[in-house]
Amino acid sequence: MLDNFNRFVIPNLGLFMDGLTITVRICAIAFAMAVVMGAIACLIRLYVPVLRYFAIAYIEFSRATPIIVQLLWVNYVWPELFGFPKSVEWAGIIALAIQSSGYLAETFRSGIEGLARGQVEAGLAVGMTRAVAFRRIVAPQAVLVMAPSIINQFAVVVKASTLVSIIAIPDLMYDALKVVNQWFEPIEVLTSVAVLYILTIFALSATAKRVADHFRGKYGLDAQA
Amino acid sequence: MNNAVAEQKPILECRDLRKAFGAFEVLRSISFEMQAGVVLSVIGASGSGKSTLLRCLNYLEQPSSGVVFLDGEPIGLRRQADGGLKPDSPANIARMRAQIGMVFQQFNLWPHMSALENVIEAPRQVKGLKRAEAIEIGRHYLGKVNLLDKADAYPARLSGGQQQRVAIARALAMQPKVMLFDEATSALDPELTGEVLDVMRALAEEGTTMVVVTHEMRFARDVSDRVMFLHQGVIEEDGAPAQVFGNPASERCRAFLSSVAH
Amino acid sequence: MFSETLRQSLDLSIFWEYRQTLLVGLLQNVYIFFASAALAMALAVVVGLARLSKRFWVRGLSTFYVELFRNTPEFVLLIWVYYVLPILLSRLLATQFNLSPFLAAVLGLGVAYSGFMSETVRAGIQAIPKGHREAGTALGMRDGAILRRIVLPQALRRMLPEMLSQLVSLFKATSIVSLIAVPDIMYQVSMVNVEQMRPLPLYTGAALLFCLVIISATQMIQILSERWRRRGWA
Ligand SMILES: Nc1ncnc2c1ncn2[C@@H]1O[C@H](COP(=O)(O)OP(=O)(O)O)[C@@H](O)[C@H]1O
Ligand SMILES: [Mg+2]
Repeated sequence: MLDNFNRFVIPNLGLFMDGLTITVRICAIAFAMAVVMGAIACLIRLYVPVLRYFAIAYIEFSRATPIIVQLLWVNYVWPELFGFPKSVEWAGIIALAIQSSGYLAETFRSGIEGLARGQVEAGLAVGMTRAVAFRRIVAPQAVLVMAPSIINQFAVVVKASTLVSIIAIPDLMYDALKVVNQWFEPIEVLTSVAVLYILTIFALSATAKRVADHFRGKYGLDAQA
Repeated sequence: MNNAVAEQKPILECRDLRKAFGAFEVLRSISFEMQAGVVLSVIGASGSGKSTLLRCLNYLEQPSSGVVFLDGEPIGLRRQADGGLKPDSPANIARMRAQIGMVFQQFNLWPHMSALENVIEAPRQVKGLKRAEAIEIGRHYLGKVNLLDKADAYPARLSGGQQQRVAIARALAMQPKVMLFDEATSALDPELTGEVLDVMRALAEEGTTMVVVTHEMRFARDVSDRVMFLHQGVIEEDGAPAQVFGNPASERCRAFLSSVAH
Repeated sequence: MFSETLRQSLDLSIFWEYRQTLLVGLLQNVYIFFASAALAMALAVVVGLARLSKRFWVRGLSTFYVELFRNTPEFVLLIWVYYVLPILLSRLLATQFNLSPFLAAVLGLGVAYSGFMSETVRAGIQAIPKGHREAGTALGMRDGAILRRIVLPQALRRMLPEMLSQLVSLFKATSIVSLIAVPDIMYQVSMVNVEQMRPLPLYTGAALLFCLVIISATQMIQILSERWRRRGWA
């Protein structure tokens, strides 16, 4: 076992590092986009009556289609339909972002709607406009309450990112499968990669839990799942 | 002396105020005037419309008809050249609300801000005061409610009584013309009501204009200048505490008082 | 130009042409879904109960199990079960051991979802007031009977809505089994694409198909949950 580890994992560390870099880059960009897109979709759904049903359709679509289907769809259909993305990497990023933005939009919505009505009224009562009350009272609390779920959503993005290899993005999973198919010695390589993913995702979930505990202690805010 | 008072402009005036939720009429033609410096207690059974009245006074609830005037200015409505009234802009409504302090039954402190931050938030955001200025005012009013030592504590770390006192300081920090209290002690454990009532009593003695919805009959009788009894959205009794408690004209008021007497 | 590609993307007649192949593929998803759902729920009840055990080591082990599988990407788990597990088992049992793609898919997805579901089970059981158990004890019922007759029936009702939405996620996840060569719907779609080279309607249609299935399922769950709530059930 150790022998195989030395033969298949160690010599390919460089390759795996390249793959890991791509994984990290894809996840980071996709997640950032998902937060922005999710916030926009949520705000439209709540506050722009004319476009409300577009937002709902978008959110429902993004949550109801599996990530693998979205990957294939964005990769093969979008370039013909919209003229972009121009690279598989961007196709992967967009698909991951779409998927997560739907979940984040609903997370944000429950954070905003879960806020006691009295919170905004207390703001109005001291003379705030609705916009100021949203900026100073609703948004910060929604972010605090939702922070653990948001971090968890990043863990979900990392999980889903393992699938971008199917549209030939050379991420960590892609490189691992390449080495496996080259030597037909899957045990060490796949186990190492699995452990790496598990530890990363576990660290993110554990962070989310600690953030939740911290906020509960400091502000008495209860995180929503 | 009496004449001089009578000639004063009322600080708050309700003119034929009505409020319905759907077909359900909660307030039916409420009219009254109130002079500056007066403490008015509003009493009445649960569901009689006390909270709704208070919320109409600062336009948190839009009246179905009728007008509330603060210092002669209509709230939520704008006078036009021809003398008619039309709905006011949100910014102007906010400007009027800034001159009315409100204290809620459930405190409604903002949990993500410390006690001091809660108090200086409106002076900063609404009045546009500089931070240092706002902090000076904030500390002054936190001192008034005896909570200077808790300035940096978050609401979650405060007792109910302390939270409500911060909420009072938050309202006072805007230096409002009128303070509204909606059952400020009802959500508190009995042993914590005293500290909040003491603060309210001190404010009353300083001449703060207050409308106090309360179930604390002793407070209504001893502290207020005027007591109003509300029944099914109508003012059934309105007078000096001695008269309302000692010799109410309305049979319903008499029944209500005897029901809460023990 | 755009409208022409859009028209092509939405021209789903190819789904009708290949309805038989595609349906056979979809059935694979359905079979895998039911098999892995059964496995996941059975494991979830065991692990969920183990998480509440009085014994320290049982709690520790089950916590490790939950954390392990909740934090493993489904695809990684699937690949690992398909490629690595048979080799390990062959060495362990000193015989040739094979795992069909279908079984690997059921095992991988079942174990992955048992991690999430056991948390639902645990929360459902913890929500039952302690007094209910004590009332059983006071009447002389044994622990096993209390669990079977008092705790589980209540807990299961309570966890039903959340369990159902986990199942919806599980069905969505069955879309990845094509990656270990199970001839499921996505596998067949790709095959038809290789034959016809018409990715526009094929992948758009696949997305719409999942949308349809998943959204109807969630709507139904919402209606049912609402009804159960009104009956004071869940
Ligand atoms: N937003 C609302 N929608 C419908 N009915 C309401 C609303 N707010 C208050 N009510 C009703 O109006 C009546 C008076 O309520 P409220 O003013 O809160 O009474 P009080 O404060 O005297 O107990 C109650 O019957 C209540 O149910
Ligand atoms: Mg009330």
